[in-house]
Order: sequence, then structure tokens, then C-alpha cells
Amino acid sequence: MKSISMGVLVAALMLPCTWAYGSDTTHIGIVKSLAGDVVITRSDRTIQAEPNLRLQEGDVVQTGPNGKVGLILEDDTVISMGFDSKIALKRFMFQPNEKKLSFITRVFHGTISFLSGQIAKLAPTQAQIETPYATVGSRGTHILIQVD
Amino acid sequence: MNILVRFALLLLLVTLTSGCAKKMLVALVPDPDGKIGSISVESAAGSVTIDTSYQATTIGDPQKMPSTPAPVAKKKLDKIFKEALSIQPEQPLHFLLYFQEGTELTSESMKLLPDIIASIKQRNSTDISVVGHTDTLGSKEYNTALSTTRALAVRTLLVTQGAESNAIRTTSHGKENPLIPTGDNVSEPRNRRVEVVVR
Repeated sequence: MKSISMGVLVAALMLPCTWAYGSDTTHIGIVKSLAGDVVITRSDRTIQAEPNLRLQEGDVVQTGPNGKVGLILEDDTVISMGFDSKIALKRFMFQPNEKKLSFITRVFHGTISFLSGQIAKLAPTQAQIETPYATVGSRGTHILIQVD
Repeated sequence: MNILVRFALLLLLVTLTSGCAKKMLVALVPDPDGKIGSISVESAAGSVTIDTSYQATTIGDPQKMPSTPAPVAKKKLDKIFKEALSIQPEQPLHFLLYFQEGTELTSESMKLLPDIIASIKQRNSTDISVVGHTDTLGSKEYNTALSTTRALAVRTLLVTQGAESNAIRTTSHGKENPLIPTGDNVSEPRNRRVEVVVR
């Protein structure tokens, strides 16, 4: 009995770690296409992007002077970035059954194409692109954004 | 005046008039399927709405209003966004599967499985979702459980036919993401489905 409760305790203690590192359960999308230098900053780590790399909420994606990248997120959002561009996937929640829907992208600079997905369709007010100048709200559409 | 000083002043002038004129451009273009959506662009001073394709607004100061949306040439956008658009991935593919009863697929849906496997291979996809959906009839618990069981059954079928198990994630959206929107407690067979999304 004691060993069972110890086991439960150990499992409970390990759970947060699984969530933090278990990219299998927490990924929000993938890097689908890529050329040149592209890096992902996750917490304090810098990761060289490669096709099929799994993205997480909070990831910062940055292309170099010769870099470009295409991302597909779980809700069908397609984002592609040209040279010298930088965005952050600030918040991504796609759990319709729990009524948890939210997608906030931050654009720092560059040229970016957005094809919005199911979050924008199901909860139009919850899909937003923040920029240094203004906030762009999307209701299911193709948006092109250039930020100097 | 020293020629070097003159040159420095000229350089400063060029920088001030071009480099410092930092701003943002936001344009609306048609979706790949031709549909036109709508966007709002909101600064600290107010917001503008664009709901016509090839219209754009610009803003250079977050304390000012975005410019009144105006037509922008497709050619100009194609030039500015050339690199971004050149790397744009294909949109995810959705396959709709239906059931006779329990977890048994209809024969039409069974016939789709080879197409799904083929598209996974063709796209070299390592990120596949299998999502259970229900109509609005019945309790949330029952519907969530049934649609999850159906999604797991489809996952098993796909793995049996050659899909990589760790590339597939199964989930249920219950009645909250219907194909055909209805009121509550409505039987709608088209909503009782499993969608396979291949990215």
C-alpha cells in the first residue's frame, strides 16, 4: 500500500516535467518548408530549424538574410516568412471541446504571409496578430504583413 | 565645407528620409480557394476594416490611425512578399470519415484509407491529426467518449496500413467544431465524423 502511494506521488511529481519536455503532447505545429538560415528560440535555447521540427507555444522564429520558412499549425493556420523576419507564437490554444480557443502571434519585423485556420473561424475575436504599430484581427483569410 | 563633412550630411539626410520612415503594411488577398475574408487593423487611435481583396492599409506611428484602406497592385505585393510566398506550404488536407455504427467505418470511408496513406507519403508528413466529432444530440460525456473511441479506431487502421504511429495525434472536438452548424440536441449525421488532417 505504501509503495503504491509512493508510486502515485512520484508519478505526480514527474507529471510537470513530462508536460515541460514532452514535445509529443505539447507541440502546436511543425516547420514544413525551409531554406537558408532559420532559428527557433525556445526559453533560453536556440535551435537550428529543420523540416518537421515540432513547434511549441512561445517559440520565437527568426529567418536570416537568406532564410525563409513555412509553418503549419494544428488548427490549419499556415504562416510563411521571407528574409530577415521574426515572429513569436505567443499563445496557441486549440481545444474546441473545452472551449479553449486562442491564437496570438507577435510580428517583430519582416515579411509574413498568414493563412488563418480554425481558431479564427471558431473564435474570430481570439485570433490576433500583434505588431509594434497595431493589432491585426483576422476572420478567416489570407493576410500579408510587412513590418520595417 | 570639407567634402567629407558634406558627404556625412548627405548620408544623414538620406537616412532620415528613407531609413527612418519605418512603417507597417497590411494587405488582404484572396484565400487559396478564392474566398475573401475580413481583417481589422487597430492602433491606439482607432481601427480600420478591410474586406475587399487587394486592399491595404499602412501605419507608421502606433499613436495614429492606420491609413484608410486603398487598392494595392497584386504585382507590388508579389514583389514585396516574393520570398515569403515562395516558401508557403500547401494547406493541410482534410479527410472526412463516417461510421455505420460503433467504430465500424462505412464502405465509402474505408475506400478513403489508401488515399490518406498516399497523401501522408506524398507530403512526407510527420504531423497527422485524427479528430473525432459529434452532432449536438446527447450528453457531452457520451459524445466525447464515442468520438474519442472512433478516432482511436481510425488511428489503429492508419497504423495498420503503414502510417507512423508517433506521427499521429488523436483528439476529440465533441460537438464544438461542427461541419454543419445546428442548434442544440439536433441529430446531424454529417457532423458525426472523424477528420484526418495531413500536414
